[in-house]
Amino acid sequence: MSLRHIHWLLSALVVASMVLISCAPPAAPAAPAAPAAPAAGEEAAPAKEVSWWTKAAEPYKGVTIRGISESTPPSKYMQQVLAPAFEKETGIKVEFEVTSWDQMYDKEIKDMEAGTGIYDFVYVEQDIIYAYLQRKFLTDLTTFMEQNPQLVYADLDMNDFTSFIDYFKDDQGHAYGIPFEAFLKVYLYRKDLFNDPEVQAAFKEKYGWDLRPATTWEEYGQIAEFFTEWGKDKELYGTTVTAGTHPAATYEMIESVFPAWGIYRWGINMENWKATSANGGSLDSEQAKKALRFWDVDMLKFAPPEATSSTWDEVAASFAAGRAAQGLIYGENAAWIATDSTRSKVVGNVGVALPPTAPGVMDEAKAAKGYIGYYDGGALGIPVSSKNKEAAFLWLQWMARKDFQGDFAAAASRIVRKSTFEDPKVLELDPKVDGYFSLMKEQGPLFAGAPPFPFHNTIRPVLDPFIWKTISGEVTPEDALDQAAQAIDAELAKLGYGQ
Amino acid sequence: MKSNRIAWGLLAPTLLVLGFAGLLPFFYVVYVGFFNWNVFSRVAGLVYTGADNYRRLVFDADFLASIGRSVRFTFWAVSIEMILGMGLAQSLMRDFKGKGFFRAVYALPLTVAPIAVGATWRLLTMPGMGPLPYYLKQIGFDYNLGRYPAHAFATTVLMDVWHWTPFVTLTFLAGLTALPKEPFEQAMVDGANRWQILRHLTLPMLRPVILTALFLRIMDALRIVDEVFMLTGGGPGMHTHYVGIFVWRVVFPKTDYGYGSAMSVLLLYFTIVLCWLLLTSITQARREAGT
Amino acid sequence: MRWSTARKRLGLALTYVVWIALTLATLFPIYWMFLVSTRSRVELFGNFQLYPSGFFVENFIRPLFRDVYGRYLLNSLIISTGNTLLVAILAILATYALSRYRIPGDQNIFFWTITNRMAPPAAFMLPMFLLYSRILRLGNWQLFDTHIGLILAYCVFNLPFAIWLLKGIVDGIPVDLDEAAMVDGASVIQVIWQVIVPLAAPGIAITALLSWIFAWNEYLFAATLTSVNARTITTGLAEFVTVVGTNWGEMAAMATVCLAPALLFLSLVQRYIVVGLTFGAVRE
Repeated sequence: MSLRHIHWLLSALVVASMVLISCAPPAAPAAPAAPAAPAAGEEAAPAKEVSWWTKAAEPYKGVTIRGISESTPPSKYMQQVLAPAFEKETGIKVEFEVTSWDQMYDKEIKDMEAGTGIYDFVYVEQDIIYAYLQRKFLTDLTTFMEQNPQLVYADLDMNDFTSFIDYFKDDQGHAYGIPFEAFLKVYLYRKDLFNDPEVQAAFKEKYGWDLRPATTWEEYGQIAEFFTEWGKDKELYGTTVTAGTHPAATYEMIESVFPAWGIYRWGINMENWKATSANGGSLDSEQAKKALRFWDVDMLKFAPPEATSSTWDEVAASFAAGRAAQGLIYGENAAWIATDSTRSKVVGNVGVALPPTAPGVMDEAKAAKGYIGYYDGGALGIPVSSKNKEAAFLWLQWMARKDFQGDFAAAASRIVRKSTFEDPKVLELDPKVDGYFSLMKEQGPLFAGAPPFPFHNTIRPVLDPFIWKTISGEVTPEDALDQAAQAIDAELAKLGYGQ
Repeated sequence: MKSNRIAWGLLAPTLLVLGFAGLLPFFYVVYVGFFNWNVFSRVAGLVYTGADNYRRLVFDADFLASIGRSVRFTFWAVSIEMILGMGLAQSLMRDFKGKGFFRAVYALPLTVAPIAVGATWRLLTMPGMGPLPYYLKQIGFDYNLGRYPAHAFATTVLMDVWHWTPFVTLTFLAGLTALPKEPFEQAMVDGANRWQILRHLTLPMLRPVILTALFLRIMDALRIVDEVFMLTGGGPGMHTHYVGIFVWRVVFPKTDYGYGSAMSVLLLYFTIVLCWLLLTSITQARREAGT
Repeated sequence: MRWSTARKRLGLALTYVVWIALTLATLFPIYWMFLVSTRSRVELFGNFQLYPSGFFVENFIRPLFRDVYGRYLLNSLIISTGNTLLVAILAILATYALSRYRIPGDQNIFFWTITNRMAPPAAFMLPMFLLYSRILRLGNWQLFDTHIGLILAYCVFNLPFAIWLLKGIVDGIPVDLDEAAMVDGASVIQVIWQVIVPLAAPGIAITALLSWIFAWNEYLFAATLTSVNARTITTGLAEFVTVVGTNWGEMAAMATVCLAPALLFLSLVQRYIVVGLTFGAVRE
């Protein structure tokens, strides 16, 4: 058998195996069991009891709805567990496209802008909702429900959703999306290190106060400095910083650091749409400059070397690899860092706390005038251009079912319903994540989603280069914010705001 | 002489496909370039602004800077690839055991998807995770491409060289094997040494091949996006924000379609001019060499 | 005498040193990618060993069998092969026309085809998207998210490339052969099929290979113009980058799998690479 023959045989084998692989049906993942008994109408109870879902979906049986979302655990859970169950129950096929964050936005925006009706449900993050509302891209669900009472599930219970759903309502209180994921960006710290007597002694000696999670930024800085020194030969650093050349770096500033220093809503004055303090904004204020210098210059010194190549992923991975003593981490990561030993080296040693704040900020937050951090998450909405709104709406209610929330929360550590906080699965999981869920329940109101402007995606890229240049040292934080504020003013004017 | 109808008939399918998938979108992009169109502006849809986008482009310091970076990148990457490619092609002209194996392995990088190339190099070079910074630190060199612009730039060049030199090498090799043997044998009999043969015989005769390879590489290097985007995201700061990434960032997250379209048209124009110059040199060289 | 053999030996040794070093440098990034695919997530950080310490098969199994990457592989195969066939056929016809006939403006047409490949693709995604989803539809069916759609879209850069490469080769085939065949009563198509194709076979092979690889590895068009049904493996690779962490292990595994067919195709055709890439530089 000559070499050529071997080659042809090998290639035939490769093709054959690829065809075989692709024919393998995608089995459900090793996630918690598919939705339990409440899905009535199965073989066990014959014709007698047809579920509400099957009846309501009668006119839409055989329809295919298509939606797009980010490839995150909650979305994948919906795609792999909830969607097949829905299809089985109603006969409506769900084509769920999960893709990367940028691609998702690009495609859904293109679809809605052009009115092509490709997607019947789309991922709506709580910052883009304002843009979508302004452009009237989404279906008013409240009105839709009034017009189609036969499609409304009795136990939908809109009041059971946490305050997070308010972000998806317009000023008349009409809802435009049904939440399916919500997280807080929290302050994580290494309990084992903080509780180590040797560490405590050394720390007290140097700084004069007992080591505990920071409540002010000055304390945070001291802890960071201490641990970087302490961890010099141990590959341990004092804090994570998201400093890669990526929007993630900008988000860390505007979502977490600026608010905790008292700079809200990106420093943009929402009455006259200006960011420069000369015109009423606060982006180039002294406080903002202090915050930027603190985080992206000072704290960067105490961060691991990969910080300047890190987005939110790598920051979580760094912390999970035990390379940092504290950090500001998105809630959806907090859970797996604390519990999943196939991905995290610090299982059992993770502490969760409220982020440190500058003086006065906590009071403002409690008085609902400000906020201390970021309430992240998303909902599913139905584009106005969709041709299958009824079927899509049934699907939205399906994934929001109260009885599914427990498993959903356990699988993807997100909670959108108040009732879920009392779910046994969540109660069981809570201590393992150092009370993250309790924190969410009790202190959630101190956090806020993104500011209600419709131009996030256009203005954030204006701010990006200035943050990146500050990180790389090309400009000082002071100059960066001066220039950024002016650039933002100009761009806002170009978009038609503040004229 | 021969019926032109047949010719057009043969060309028709090609023109049809390219017209539909290439020309139509192009016209649309040119059209949009004359408008201000941002999905999130107060006034929805296209707002006619004439040549305003182009005017802004000419004064856009960031845009011009990114062109400069692209040119610098292209210069370094392509130069290295050409020199290395020629040297290696010459080497492959000799006969030595295992040549086929080496040549096959060497062509591997061509088969890796650009996005995977970027991801692989990111894995290699990320501090804390990659072997390169780790082993370099052992010998005392602090390599961090997230922090030092020079490191980032050098790494992007290295990555491109790794990826595309095989293409250049194989192209030159093909050219070399097609050359007639007599002039070389004659030169050796006349006592010319290696360098003289190279300078006065090989290079001139290979001119069309060299220019073709140059042409293709310059065109692609100026357009590079996926690999660099995955590797550095354009950083640190804006130091590896080449023109392809710059356009990408304007069009995708910023949804500034009007500006992005104008930018693309301008870049296309520059590239066409550059390539037209090269092309006329090639046809010139072919005519000279062919007779 | 001895001195020149010594020099030859040194030259040979140097050649080997260079090529071995080159092989290592070429293979190392790919090898590292493979290494990453054998590691579980928790092992990734801080593990700089240059050899695998176990094989975390889950990285391969989950995406291929429990997720949809197997289907993506098939889609990629269909689309790449389909596109290569289409491009090969169209390009052979087109280069024959450009080579054998004097059409007014043929130089310009030739140059125009390659300009399709010159622009940064980002801005062209919007018109392509609109074209595929709004303008080209019959009732409910649209070109968006179909295999044929992507096959046509890839012609934008593969077809010019193929024409570019093949033109020189076809130019190098003497016209007398055509005329001889025509005298015997062959039609144009027969001339192409029976005379041109066999002689240009190596060139066609290498063109097909490169086109196939470009189509297989392409990302942006595939990401924009497909959704669920026609999604390719390269777009699938980008999906691993998520908010909750880039699953480098699985991504590397899929990148390795993505590499395999391209590699195989390359090894099949690489013997022709050298022979086929003549550019008609010097012809008798």
